[in-house]
Amino acid sequence: MQACSIHSRVVKVFKRLLLVLGAAGAVGMLARVRGKGGVPPTSGGWRELEGPEFR
Amino acid sequence: MTTALVVGVGAVGTRAARQLIDTPGVDRLLLADRDDAQLTEVASAFGSDAQAVDFAPGDPIPSDVDVVVTALPTGVDHPIVTAAIAAGVPVASSEDEHEALEQLRVLDPNARGAGVAIGIGCGLAPGLVDALARHAASMFESVDEIKVARTGWAGPASVATVRHERRVPVRTWHDGTWREDHPHGDSLVWFPEPIGARDCRTVTGGTALLVDAFPGVARIGVQLGEPPKRARLRRRFGDEGEWGAARVEVWGRRDGGFDCTVYGVVERTAVAAGAVLAVVGARLAGALTPKLDRPGVHGLGALLDPVPFLAELAQRGVRAAAFEGVAVA
Repeated sequence: MQACSIHSRVVKVFKRLLLVLGAAGAVGMLARVRGKGGVPPTSGGWRELEGPEFR
Repeated sequence: MTTALVVGVGAVGTRAARQLIDTPGVDRLLLADRDDAQLTEVASAFGSDAQAVDFAPGDPIPSDVDVVVTALPTGVDHPIVTAAIAAGVPVASSEDEHEALEQLRVLDPNARGAGVAIGIGCGLAPGLVDALARHAASMFESVDEIKVARTGWAGPASVATVRHERRVPVRTWHDGTWREDHPHGDSLVWFPEPIGARDCRTVTGGTALLVDAFPGVARIGVQLGEPPKRARLRRRFGDEGEWGAARVEVWGRRDGGFDCTVYGVVERTAVAAGAVLAVVGARLAGALTPKLDRPGVHGLGALLDPVPFLAELAQRGVRAAAFEGVAVA
């Protein structure tokens, strides 16, 4: 009876651990996906607008 | 004799006042602010060119004023614009928060009826970016999408507005209709150097002003950069203010293909916003030509022709740039 109770407690702790790890993973994934930035422009540069038409 | 009334002499208002004093067509400047000490200090710094007056939102516009220029915290402009419309005096407002902008846009029929031109969102973004978007759009046969972004803030009130905009639900213009959404995460936006890449988040901001100016464009988006954490505790804003930048991306069709034009500008945010506000104010008063006299409440994308506006700003040191290379979609 006591062995069964210990086993049940271990399983409960294990399940909670899995839940916490899963939640942490999901939050991490969300932060990674949402925080994903653009790709830097690899060629070109900025030129001041000039001329009568400012182009 | 042209007289301008500048209401609010904070980071933007002080710079706008300086720009107006330096405008040959402006003969007299009246300054008003709720902070008497700040008002006295600024008025005395400008010498005999400026005069401090007792004016508060809700008061009637003084009889000899040709234009009202407002640089106030969010939500204070409405009674001033209402009074100005009643008096038949044009207004240039630096208001940039979306709910406050809506309150001003509601006054459009009144302004049209009174034949008064009201320019709202006269800052870096909204403001200069709207004019740049108009300029870029003129190079396309049809425009599909306009994306604007800004990083930078003019002072504590500006930081508070940016924080508020980034926190509240977002209204974006998508496929020709308004779409409401919760704020998404940040994405990198590439501004001209030395600002470079900054995290920005989609906000409502001045989207409605761009939709007014470009009703046929399917997608319009506005992004704002992340303000500094606990700016008041970390340090005070210096006399020169914070560096800021804006970027305008216009996608459309020309020469039988799909193409993109990207404009950007880097300047101290308060300096750029002050210059934009002053130039619009001076042109509304007729102190600079061509005079802005289109009745109604408008953003700068609908109010003005961008080329003479950009030329005037360039003379005052606020210069825009074009990105040449492979734009990132």
